[in-house]
Formats: sequence, C-alpha cells, structure tokens
Amino acid sequence: MWKRTTQGRELHFYLAGINNQNFLMRDRETGSWWQQVTGRAIAGKLAGSALELMPNDELTFALWKSEAPHGLVLAPVAGHGDKDYDKKWEEETAKYPVPLTFPEQGLKDRDVILGVEMSGQARAFPLEKLRGPIPVEDKIAGVPVVFVTGPDGESVRLFRSQWNGMDIDLYRDAQRGPQSAGKSDGKSPEWQLLDSLGNTWNFAGCATSGPATGQCLEKINYLKDYWFDWKNYNPRTTVYSH
Amino acid sequence: MIAPNYRSKNSGLWLALTLLTLFSLSLFLIPGFIIRPFTHQSEPGLRMAIAVKLIAPAFTVVALIGLLALSWRLWRCSSLWLRTGIVTALLLSVTSTVMVRQNYFEWMFNPIKAAGFVSAGDAHLDDKEMVMAVRIAQEARAYPILQMAYHHILNDTVAEVPIVVTY
Repeated sequence: MWKRTTQGRELHFYLAGINNQNFLMRDRETGSWWQQVTGRAIAGKLAGSALELMPNDELTFALWKSEAPHGLVLAPVAGHGDKDYDKKWEEETAKYPVPLTFPEQGLKDRDVILGVEMSGQARAFPLEKLRGPIPVEDKIAGVPVVFVTGPDGESVRLFRSQWNGMDIDLYRDAQRGPQSAGKSDGKSPEWQLLDSLGNTWNFAGCATSGPATGQCLEKINYLKDYWFDWKNYNPRTTVYSH
Repeated sequence: MIAPNYRSKNSGLWLALTLLTLFSLSLFLIPGFIIRPFTHQSEPGLRMAIAVKLIAPAFTVVALIGLLALSWRLWRCSSLWLRTGIVTALLLSVTSTVMVRQNYFEWMFNPIKAAGFVSAGDAHLDDKEMVMAVRIAQEARAYPILQMAYHHILNDTVAEVPIVVTY
C-alpha cells in the first residue's frame, strides 16, 4: 500500500503487466511503469522515483472490526462473484509455477514469509514460525523487534520492543492462558501482553495499564510475500531461524 | 499458381508488404510474449518489451498506412491467391494496431472504477476473512484481500490522503 503522490502530484494507477509474478502498474498521468512490490518506477518519465509506503495491517475482519467499529469496508464490485473472488485463491496460486527459484536458504519458493527491511537490512520470517501464542523476538539492524499474534490467532503485528529508550520483553499473560489464542473471536477483552516493567499491552501495541499507560509501541511495517519474490527484490536478505 | 512474372516484377513490393506485416505484428507480439505470466522476465527483456510498448501505438499506424499503400499498388495485378494474402496482411496489421491499444491485463482483472464502501457492521465478511487495513487520522478502512487479490489495484483517498492499495 502506497501514497500515490510524487513531488506533490497525485497519480492514478492501473494494472499494466507482470514481472516475475509481481505485477506492474502504470500511472495515467505520465504513463510511467511501476513495480508493485517496491513502489519504484522502473521506466518512463518518473523512472527512479519511489512511492512512500502507507503503513497498513493484514488482519482478520473480526479483529479489524473490534478495533475500528466505525470503519468502512470495500464493497464487492457488482458483476464479480465467487469466480473472481475465489476463496481458494491461495491454494490455487500455490500450484502455479514460479519464474525464479532461490533454494539456498532453506525455504521453498512459495513459502509465505513476512519480510522486514530496516536500515538497509532485510530479513524474512517464515509465517509458520510466527503464528502462535508466544511473541517472537528478534533484532534487525540492532533494533529489538517483536512479532505478536493477535487474540484471533491469525493477525500478526510487528513492534519495536522498546519503550522510553529501554528494551522490553513482551510475553503472554500466563494466568489468562496462552491456549486461548486461536479460539477467540477477536473481541476477547482479556487478551493482553505483559512486560517486566509492569505494563500491560493490547494488540494495537498500546499500554492499557502500568507506567506506560496510554502510550504505544512503534509499529513496524512488514510485507507478506512469497519467498521467491522477497528474495528477488532483497537479494541480501537473511532468514530468521530459531 | 502464382504467375512468376508478377512476382518478379513486384517482388520488392511483396517483400515490403511481408516485412511491414511482420513488423506490425511484432509490435504487439514481442511485449505480449515477454510480459506473460509464470515465466521469468530478464531485466533487458523487460526493458525492451516496455520500449516496444511505448512506440507500438504510433508505429502500428505507420505500418498500416504503408500496407494500405502497398495493397493499393499490388491489388490489380494480383491473382485471387495473392489478394487473399493482401487481405490477410491487412487484417493482421489492423489486429495489431487495435491490440497494442488494449490493456488485456484489465480484461483478466477488471479494475475497480468506482469503489463502494459499507460500514463495518453491514459488511458480509466471515470473521476469519483477511483484510488489508489502513487508518489515517480518524478514518479506518478495510480492503478484503479476496477482492484485492483479483482487482489488484485500488486508487483510494482516506482522510484526504491519496493512496493506492495493491495486492
């Protein structure tokens, strides 16, 4: 997701092609060609320009709704039914051949990863290693980060695990039971994380009690992607393995 | 079948007709072949495909005009067979001229021309359905991935910020 302005000019994009299974788009204003995954113009008048990332989340509908009860949802476009909005699209896509292969780092081409880029360092986190009741901690470019799976057992967010200049360890409230993850409807009020400073944190990364009450952790954007695509655009990426 | 004296007399023109037809077709087929799904696109290949796409609209018209002139010149002295060839060349060139103006990726994945929105409470989504979510100022929006995985692109404006949602 990108801001569609460059040098103060608003752009309108449309689908224009495909490059190694990642789509190309063009803007109506200049006809320049842009790579979807990087937000960079690769040809045309604006070649070399980059769009600014628009921070966003991938959440289950239930969890999003619990956080944004007054939000708006994109409605299905008339004339498009289950054939186009194919509920099995992920299984279908998984069967397609890949245009590139990078077997050296232990991942399969269509393994789903969450890709993070910080200070020029890229790291891929296999999704299957992240989802679960226990927050997954790591350091990227010296910055402590933590992946948290939400009360719905599906939605994942990444935070900088620092508050007030201090590194913090986040863990699930054992008394509330980590086994509840995955069964919740996303509205579960008891879901929370604790830290060693006496704070409790909700899935939005904001402290609900303790000395940090009312403050929020810095959320870090990640890109959910197939391994081959991530590796293609981040050739020096490392892979999380713990 | 083909009278040899006609062919030799106009062989230069026939060669030009053939080459112009191939040129016109290549303006459509080369990028179409390179930019196709499930195959590897090399950087030089992609660059060439895009360069060809940029000149194709003008050059297919030039080729078509040239072919019309040649056809005019060759038609009278051509047998039925050769006239069939002329018509075929013109049809291929017209096809190419039309196709280089089409965005067939949008035939496969129709764009969202005017996005409609419903409130969170009125949306008919399964609880577990994944959405891309954005919040700008006080405005929150969710884009069901099921829909975005088909349309791929949505130009939207949230809290006066123009954004492009891509998946």
